[in-house]
Amino acid sequence: MAQWGEAFFGRGSLSLQTLKLLRSFLKINIQMSLAYRADTIVNILLNLMWLGWELLSLSIIFNNTATLGGWGLGELIALLGVFRLVNTMMIALIWPNTEKFNQSIRDGSMDYNILQPVNTMFLVTFSRITVWRIWDLVLAITLIIVGINMSGDTATASSILTFILLTVSGTIVIYSLWIVLIALTFWFTKFDNNVTILQALMDSGRYPATVYPAWLRIIVTFVIPIAVATTIPLQGLRGDLGLNQVLIFIAIGFISFWVASIVWKAGLKRYSGASS
Amino acid sequence: MLKIFQRLWQVNWAEQWQYRANLLMYLLYWLVSPIIYLAVWTSIAYSKGDVNGFTANDFVTYYMTLLIVDQITSNIVIHSFGYKIQDGTLSGELIRPIHPMLTNALVNNISFKGLTILGLTPIWIILFFLFKPDYGHVTMVGVLMAIPAMLLGFFIGYLLSAAVTSLAFWTTRVYSIHEFYFALILLFSGQFVPLSLMPQIIQNIAQYLPFQLLLYYPIQLILGKLSNAQIVQGYVMGGIWLVVALFLFNWVWRNGVKRFSAVGA
Repeated sequence: MAQWGEAFFGRGSLSLQTLKLLRSFLKINIQMSLAYRADTIVNILLNLMWLGWELLSLSIIFNNTATLGGWGLGELIALLGVFRLVNTMMIALIWPNTEKFNQSIRDGSMDYNILQPVNTMFLVTFSRITVWRIWDLVLAITLIIVGINMSGDTATASSILTFILLTVSGTIVIYSLWIVLIALTFWFTKFDNNVTILQALMDSGRYPATVYPAWLRIIVTFVIPIAVATTIPLQGLRGDLGLNQVLIFIAIGFISFWVASIVWKAGLKRYSGASS
Repeated sequence: MLKIFQRLWQVNWAEQWQYRANLLMYLLYWLVSPIIYLAVWTSIAYSKGDVNGFTANDFVTYYMTLLIVDQITSNIVIHSFGYKIQDGTLSGELIRPIHPMLTNALVNNISFKGLTILGLTPIWIILFFLFKPDYGHVTMVGVLMAIPAMLLGFFIGYLLSAAVTSLAFWTTRVYSIHEFYFALILLFSGQFVPLSLMPQIIQNIAQYLPFQLLLYYPIQLILGKLSNAQIVQGYVMGGIWLVVALFLFNWVWRNGVKRFSAVGA
């Protein structure tokens, strides 16, 4: 645990400094996005359009059936909310930072990141944030609340708590996988496609993995674990999971973060700059 | 003219071959949605027996055919051409005596298609054994009739995308417009679900739009689900839209090039 905290916040002055940094990252990114105001507005409109499409596609499905793999409409709306949470992380954090990271490996500006007196992993993964996407988080949480309300009587205080814990640990699993994927760039410099595989399977998170054929379910649960961040939390909410399973999934969150920080450190040791 | 096309093919094929790793990633990316839709709808069909007359096998054959048809009728002109208007590299192509969009970019698209179909073939065979579609009702005649329909679909789709891409002459950045255009395709082409399962109002509109000619119409033709009257109607619509798309593209292109002031020129 101590090592885990250290991996992220560094020794000593730790989290306060991290928070301060996060605040200035946000400030810089807000300034950058204000330079492209029209773009931002168009993007928000497009985002609403996709939300409309997603709800329409759910209504088409539920016009033809009462349940999808045993799940009701409310539960699928909540799932859409969780999917949008993870997808927002993908678009607002993973994409822009990966792009910057790949660039910094190619041109050697990674040197300056390593020289900074803060945790490099934090610096590399949080310095770019597509700020307007934060509105997407509001949308996602609204969808989750509406969905839970629609699914009605099944949700209890403990199942909601389980749901929140599983969502957080699932998100950490995806974040950790991302760290591993970009850390691989230290070994294979020309690895520009490092997150495409993650993005490619992202769409599988829109529907409960339980309706997929076994081979696809195995891929999205164990190989590229999109389902761990989307289907599993919803299963927790529905009460499909026993206490043991819940604890295992939460443990997986911690373990994957721990593994990711080890891989990241090993990768950093391999890094030798672009020009040397 | 034939020689020009031959040369363009060599150049573009070599160029696309260079990016074969990217291409595989693109293929993977593009494969996921149809497979997910397939899984969702077959699971519903299994639990209820059928969905409005569609059995599980109907869905499997629909999406498995969609994988091939979409690969033939779709295009990447927005990605391969949009930036040329944006950063001004189009200037060099404009002074050549051949139409940039209707020769070079077209051949570029076709060579891209050739490579992706090469990559798709083994994946499709694996999927065939995983999903075991029953193609018992497909006839040779249906497949042969679908070939010109797919070519028609490709050219209509290509000209429309080219027209959308040419809007970059006015807006410079065209990706948002393209995203909107992409949503129209999703809604009206039968990509999400066979059009006959869409809400009635969408079906009514889709009938007159060109997007169903890219997917739904050729797929149904291959699967032998259309009556003779519907087949004729599809081809007539295809002919009309091809002419409309050609005029539309020409008009946007001509006015656009007039406005074009290359960046840095």
